[in-house]
Amino acid sequence: MTLHDFRYPAAILALIICYFFGDTYFISLLVIIALHSMAAIGLSLLSGYAGQISLGHAAFYGIGAYTSALIALHIGITPWITIPMSAVIAGIVAWAVGPIMFRLKGHHLAMATLAFGIIVHVALVEMRGITGGPNGMGGIPPLSFFGTPLLFDEDIFPLVWGVVIVMILLSENLIRSPHGFTLRAVGAREHVVPTLGSDTNKSKCLVLIISAVFAAIAGAIYGHYIGYLSPGPFSTTFSVKLLVMVAIGGFSRIWGVVLGVIFVTFLSEWLKPFGNVELLFYGALLIFTMIYCPNGLLSQLGVVASNAARNLRQRTPS
Amino acid sequence: MSDLLQLIISGLMVGSIYGLIGIGFTTIYNVTGIVNFAQGDLAMIGAILAITFYGLSLPLALAILLSVICVGVLAAIIERLAIRPLGNSVMRGIIVTIGVGSILQGVAISGWGTQAYSLPAFTSGGPIPVLGATILPQTFWILGTTVVLMVGLYLFFTRSYLGKAFRACAINSFAAQIIGIRLNNIRVLGFVLSGFFGAIAGIIVAPIALTQFDSGVAIGIKGFVACIIGGFGNPIGAALGGLILGIIEALSSGYLSSGFKNAIAFVMLIGFLVWKPTGILGELEK
Repeated sequence: MTLHDFRYPAAILALIICYFFGDTYFISLLVIIALHSMAAIGLSLLSGYAGQISLGHAAFYGIGAYTSALIALHIGITPWITIPMSAVIAGIVAWAVGPIMFRLKGHHLAMATLAFGIIVHVALVEMRGITGGPNGMGGIPPLSFFGTPLLFDEDIFPLVWGVVIVMILLSENLIRSPHGFTLRAVGAREHVVPTLGSDTNKSKCLVLIISAVFAAIAGAIYGHYIGYLSPGPFSTTFSVKLLVMVAIGGFSRIWGVVLGVIFVTFLSEWLKPFGNVELLFYGALLIFTMIYCPNGLLSQLGVVASNAARNLRQRTPS
Repeated sequence: MSDLLQLIISGLMVGSIYGLIGIGFTTIYNVTGIVNFAQGDLAMIGAILAITFYGLSLPLALAILLSVICVGVLAAIIERLAIRPLGNSVMRGIIVTIGVGSILQGVAISGWGTQAYSLPAFTSGGPIPVLGATILPQTFWILGTTVVLMVGLYLFFTRSYLGKAFRACAINSFAAQIIGIRLNNIRVLGFVLSGFFGAIAGIIVAPIALTQFDSGVAIGIKGFVACIIGGFGNPIGAALGGLILGIIEALSSGYLSSGFKNAIAFVMLIGFLVWKPTGILGELEK
């Protein structure tokens, strides 16, 4: 029996403790962490398990945010319905883009996804009539629960973390399923998969759709939570930030990725008083992680800690 | 008609910058197999260093020379510290070079802040009218420098011993090592060359475009698009692709909307990647 067997109850307990004992600032950070986690978990399925890099994931986050907000604003449907609708739309976009993207590999795929992200961002900026352009659009209706609008961080906290837990559960099920096995095989040795009679492209497209849906749900909730959208948060910077979180968390470790999001978010909060050193720090951290901890910074630190503990135990005479 | 000429000239000018950046991509890619996402940031550092050296009241030519050498050394350090320990993984290579770019931007922010800087034009004098179009003297500097660099690179690759060793490593690094070429030195050479080309591109465009910490990002991506259009890994292809991209961008910003100009490069990128991934001139045969 290890912590791993109790990870869900432990996580929920930790969240409940944070919810009742954290101050407003802490809770608002945790809400942002939850939203980023949703997108990062999807990216981890795509880049970590299936080994397909994406530098344009912010596009799906943006598509989710804008479609949900626009439908809720103009047709007046409750966000509870527009959020799943936006997820479906992002899924359709991924379904359409996937077969084109996955004709490419490696650097070419990275650049094509980067281009996709930039094209969506330019579209958000330039379609002034619909999206409000660089000025953005406000007045997005908030989510409400039996007539009470979920305006404050404390109100939305249980919802976002509930969604994160469900997404983790779904992802872990997917990874264990036969589909997940194919996915991991694609990530590990792509050329072997067709010899086993599985279609690599089909499983790549499937995981792209899933990760797009996760990102879109995150974006949609973000829009209704903030109440105002501008193209800024959906640029390539966010795509790269997501990749940083996934890389630090260890790519193909769902829980590690959540820890990566927590780590990066708190780090950037701590670095805020020091001005513009954030970029410098991210870069150094990324290079260090990639060279010395290919399985993720945090898991490597865990290994180092347990080795140190073992050495200490061996040294003390028993 | 004069509008068209004006657009084509500005397209050629911007296109030669893209081409130079694109060549920087190919010199690294050919010997390391890594696409350097920090390529544009090297150009930015080059420009900012030249501006700083000039600000220390060095003569312009010396400031430029010093800055180009600094960026070359910087690129060699990047190869040694960040790229060589990495091995062959594509995804890790991409992420590390993104990290390098982020560090370069961070250094620029910490050292020079977020404001934009400019370099004086290399020669004074007003715009020169040609067939109804007006050309800035700096345009001649940009086009001339590009042509000289291209010819120089061609001669280096075809005539010099080092250039031939470089090409041998690009074509088959294993065989090149067997006949006694030190691959690690050639990899450093690839980065140094890429740093030179990046820095020069950043410096010659600095008098007409402002330079700030993040101005390398867009130019870097466009340089990559130039590579894809011309054929990745092919220096002549990169130059050609840059010119084509520059002209198409200039024409579309003249006759379509300037806002969508940025998207056109990326639509072309996806189009080429999907339908003609080897580019116009074909990729380097490995």
